[in-house]
Amino acid sequence: MARYIARRLLWVLLVVILVTFLTFLIFFVIPPVDPAILFAGRAPSARLIEEVRQSLGLDHSFWAQYGLFVKRIFLGDQYGWPGFGMSFVTRSPIRENFLSRTWVTGQLALGAAVVWLFLGVFIGITSALKRGRWQDRASMGFALFGVSAPVFWLGLMGLYIFWEKLHWLPGTGYVSFSEGPSQWFLHFLLPWVVLALLFAAFYARMVRGSLLEAFGQDWMRTARAKGLSERKVVYKHALRASLTPVVSLFGADLGTLLGGAIITETVFNLPGLGTYVVRSVQNGDLPVIMDVVVFASLAVALMSLVADILYAFLDPRVRFS
Amino acid sequence: MTVRSSRDAVADGKALLEVRDLKVHFPTPDGLVKAVDGVNFKIHRGETLGVVGESGSGKSVTFLTVMGLITSKGARLEGEVIFKGRDLLKLPVEEMRHIRGKEMGMVFQDPMTSLHPMYRVGYQIAEAVLAHEAAGKKAAWKLAIDMLGRVGIPKPEEAARRYPHEFSGGMRQRAMIAMSLVLNPDLLIADEPTTALDVTVQAQILDLIDRLKTEFNAAVAIVTHDLGVVAEHCERIHVMYAGKIVETGMSRDLFYRGRHPYTWGLLQSIPRLDAGETQRLLPIKGLPPSLIFVPPGCAFHPRCPYVMDVCRTEVPTMPPTDGRHAAACHLSPEEQERIFVAKVLQQT
Amino acid sequence: MRKRTLGVFALLLAFALVVAACGDDSATTTSGATSTTGGTAGPAVGGTYRIETDGIAYTSGGDPSGEYLGISFGIFTNLLARTLLTYYHTGGANGNSLAPDLAADFPVISADGLTYTFTLKDGIMFGPPLSRPITSKDVEFAFRRMATESVVAQYEFYYDGLIEGLTLSADMPASIAGIETPDDKTIIFHLTKVSPDFVYLVAMPATSPMPEEVAGCFLQAGEYGRYVVSSGPYMYEGSDQLDASSCEALTASGPVSGFDPEDHSYFVRNPDYDPATDDPAVRANYVDRITIDLNTNAQDIYAKIRAGQLEGAVSSGNPPADVLQAYATDAALQPLLREGGDDRTWYITMNLTAPPFDDIHVRKAANLIMDKAGILQAWGGDISGVIATHIQPPGLTGLGADYDPYATEGHRGDLALAQAEMKLSKYDTDGDGLCDAPECSGVILVNRTTSPWVESEPVVVASLAAIGIQVQVQEAENHYTIIQTVANEIPIGMDPGWGKDYPDSSSFVGFLFDGRGIKAEGNYNYSMVGLSAAQATEFGVASGPTTSVDADIDNCKQVALTDEQGGIDCWNALDKKLMEEVVPWVPYLWPNILTTVGPAVTSWDFDQFAGTTAFSKLAVDPSLQG
Repeated sequence: MARYIARRLLWVLLVVILVTFLTFLIFFVIPPVDPAILFAGRAPSARLIEEVRQSLGLDHSFWAQYGLFVKRIFLGDQYGWPGFGMSFVTRSPIRENFLSRTWVTGQLALGAAVVWLFLGVFIGITSALKRGRWQDRASMGFALFGVSAPVFWLGLMGLYIFWEKLHWLPGTGYVSFSEGPSQWFLHFLLPWVVLALLFAAFYARMVRGSLLEAFGQDWMRTARAKGLSERKVVYKHALRASLTPVVSLFGADLGTLLGGAIITETVFNLPGLGTYVVRSVQNGDLPVIMDVVVFASLAVALMSLVADILYAFLDPRVRFS
Repeated sequence: MTVRSSRDAVADGKALLEVRDLKVHFPTPDGLVKAVDGVNFKIHRGETLGVVGESGSGKSVTFLTVMGLITSKGARLEGEVIFKGRDLLKLPVEEMRHIRGKEMGMVFQDPMTSLHPMYRVGYQIAEAVLAHEAAGKKAAWKLAIDMLGRVGIPKPEEAARRYPHEFSGGMRQRAMIAMSLVLNPDLLIADEPTTALDVTVQAQILDLIDRLKTEFNAAVAIVTHDLGVVAEHCERIHVMYAGKIVETGMSRDLFYRGRHPYTWGLLQSIPRLDAGETQRLLPIKGLPPSLIFVPPGCAFHPRCPYVMDVCRTEVPTMPPTDGRHAAACHLSPEEQERIFVAKVLQQT
Repeated sequence: MRKRTLGVFALLLAFALVVAACGDDSATTTSGATSTTGGTAGPAVGGTYRIETDGIAYTSGGDPSGEYLGISFGIFTNLLARTLLTYYHTGGANGNSLAPDLAADFPVISADGLTYTFTLKDGIMFGPPLSRPITSKDVEFAFRRMATESVVAQYEFYYDGLIEGLTLSADMPASIAGIETPDDKTIIFHLTKVSPDFVYLVAMPATSPMPEEVAGCFLQAGEYGRYVVSSGPYMYEGSDQLDASSCEALTASGPVSGFDPEDHSYFVRNPDYDPATDDPAVRANYVDRITIDLNTNAQDIYAKIRAGQLEGAVSSGNPPADVLQAYATDAALQPLLREGGDDRTWYITMNLTAPPFDDIHVRKAANLIMDKAGILQAWGGDISGVIATHIQPPGLTGLGADYDPYATEGHRGDLALAQAEMKLSKYDTDGDGLCDAPECSGVILVNRTTSPWVESEPVVVASLAAIGIQVQVQEAENHYTIIQTVANEIPIGMDPGWGKDYPDSSSFVGFLFDGRGIKAEGNYNYSMVGLSAAQATEFGVASGPTTSVDADIDNCKQVALTDEQGGIDCWNALDKKLMEEVVPWVPYLWPNILTTVGPAVTSWDFDQFAGTTAFSKLAVDPSLQG
């Protein structure tokens, strides 16, 4: 098992390097904007542009710049380890901004993950147990809605109904836990629910399908033949067997979300990684783009690894000896 | 412990399980499926009963009903299933659950798919114990190991910690048997227990069932399509066709004095080791009938080489058995004997 | 249990939807109060003025030497960076008028017009972490900093070569020949040529005094932004936490918590600012604190303003059309809609070197056909501004909307007139008044991706199609970069606009149409007026040279030296010449800057110089805040 993990970690590293290299390359080949001109202001002269280019470190060759980037990631820079570099926009170290935004996105993603996991599994189980009855139809109707409704629409509707009209919720923005636990919770509630809805719907369908498939398995019959209670049969046997696809998907989904839930963050004005990287792309803020790309690809790769390990833990048939 | 023949058991009078006029019908969008259509039999303690038939004959559904495993919501059950004096069909679900797995156990056809792939074998056996007894986990685990040993699995402590996919087919089936016997049930039902196994392993498993029946003083019902399985190991055999029992008798009766054309067909279709290479197999012509649109009269008549006019209209009844050899057929007993001697005996 | 929970959930959802559907969304301010215009004694002092923005695009990290944006100008000149002279930070002509700020009075100018002497006031101080008096050396340091290449001072070109000895150099100059500081209170500038603009030039934030012991630690572009030491009535919150004992101590204790260009700007009163050294007509300083926070959801900003949770917004554009509509049509909300006439022209630029616009008749026809009323409509109607009819915005000249060389009925364009003009063009091969040569189709038109340019796009496309020009629209985020790159040879762009840097046309007409200022990259003379043959070769432009007005520009600058009105008249004449004989643009809008204020706002003003909110004129009534 340890060897397996070690091998996978090596792959993770390789993937991250590849992804960052491609991103770097894309930035230079088809840049969203030329930062040298953008940061030269309203009336950029050739000399001014050249000065800006120098100040941003863009006057070195592509390989030299990439080399510097790799170096700062692995060895750190003058601001510490790991080296986050300096933002073109703020002209100050990226570290603080990056960490605080990662923290916000992390809270958003994890909270939503808890909601969608419970909601999705609960609805999926209900649906499978009450197959064909009104609970099933209602649940699958909800699933269709959740999958179809665009996040931004849900978010705006949610704000309109619960903040502007009903005054039940406090509205957009981020309040840290230390500033007030109840405000923190109320501010996150709608973003969590809105973000989770899509996934919950999807997972509900998946759990339902998985469970129904499990119900048709021979070992279900054996479990009942042993005289186990129906509750044990469903939750210990059937559910256990249907959770493995959920685990795999969950790893990938959470990993992706950790890289930034752009639309949710924008609608609810949460200072997270998603809006950070989008604005950085618009501004051509290369160091930030690269930092977020490293983090996001790392998150996806590592979460997938965790999911795979968990999968092996759940299903002994796939374990490596 | 003396081996008691089923005649002695009959003489006892009290049957362990008595099924009276059992009917199991499933309404489907295509029509009413009459899976079991009037089945009567008894099983006594110490007896090994064989139930033979093609797929769709209703043999599995019969015993699933006995175990209370028919979960389809629309299923219509009629008749009585009297086990140790109580009609199981009238029992509330919770009470039936207490009986199932503890007083009667069932072993299924494919041990690979019949065991949960993600739990250890020992755990699955211990689970059966914990579902019924107030034992602690350690005690249940010990019992599981003990049982694994008794079914002939080497190094049972290690084996208990393994997962089903780590076992061979035969070992898995042994484990399943262990699981069904761990609480010392009075009745063991084995539904096609050897169908998914190699021939050599088949014999081992059947011998094991025999041995355990004696050790546990249980009754055994073996459900199968394979005459070879029932020949050696069962005292009494029922032959089922289209949801009904068409012939019943002691093992010798069926093989040496078979009375029903379907039974003859079954006997004739068994390949023989000493047959010449050119000798053709004789299948029963035609296909198993639809259980929705069961042929009128005798359900077997479309396939019967000895069909008469009356067979097409009148359902043949089974004369009361009382442990004797009987068949539900319009042919007279003399006719049956004549045909058997002339046609069947030569081939078998 | 499961059934019940699901049922409750469904019920709750249904209830919420029903309530929402029945909800009345006519304009009711939830805080229950409309704006007051203050008590009899004027607006109360104190409170926090809360602003949210969808993004202030700092291009130089907030470094006053570098920033060249309207919004940062507004912030610096109102709150953080006093200059020798400043404006009145109000709307209208008064807002373009100068007043002494750090200087005790207007400068003493020598007879030959080459020497400017300023005397500084007493009691002017830098705020925390320095809390020390401002000297003439600090003013000089601002110029020395500007001249340092690595600082990337974005409008250094105004001063370069104008002040004797001020040129860009790799290392910071120890001193500048043309700047004398005989004592702490006196500063003398020696110019190389007569330049009446100079008084405006010393009102720009890059010339505000900077302490060498802090600003000298940060000589890379933008680095000083988060360490700015205030000379104005407010400072960044947290400035007192910085340790200015050394450059190392500064970076260790910083950057300042109150300013993050990515995220927020928080201003609190500068304890070392003495109001006695200032003029309430210039800066009123009612509020104790101003907060500017980022909000990625623009709709939400205006919703919060309306609900009384915010006082105002700062944005690169006007509020969304539905917000404008709601405020404009509701009597209770109308007072909360504020505007200022921006000294800016939005225009369609036509490239004199790119067919079919290399033909003056085509350019004139474009002016005659353009449905400017339709464009105004797309921008939100009359409140959005005044339809532009020539180059300079009204605030700069006296020409106004009365001069309209291509007048049409209701500004809707005139097909007959346009076709008559087109017939004179070589691109109308059959003389039917429609452009039909191959060059008339597939003409690339650059546009922005944002509102309201996207909404006005169909109007422009249709107008051009009416005279036979089939355009291929290219919407781009980086539209400015595209039209600024000469090699792209973009024939026509509807994205650009230009606002004045200071209230003199030399920063407008003189800036935009000077052929000598054409650059391969970052070019702002998009129409390529005055392209010389040598430049054409250098930039690889096939069809050059183009009509030049360089001589006219130089002439007007010369006239303006001695005669202010003569200068204005000269620029007006050049405006007319450009519109009638060169025709580089189809100007369409002189915009209003619109914004909404919250119900608790008791004082708000427009800063005509910066084209933004006058941050030093804000007041709020805390009891009305939500």
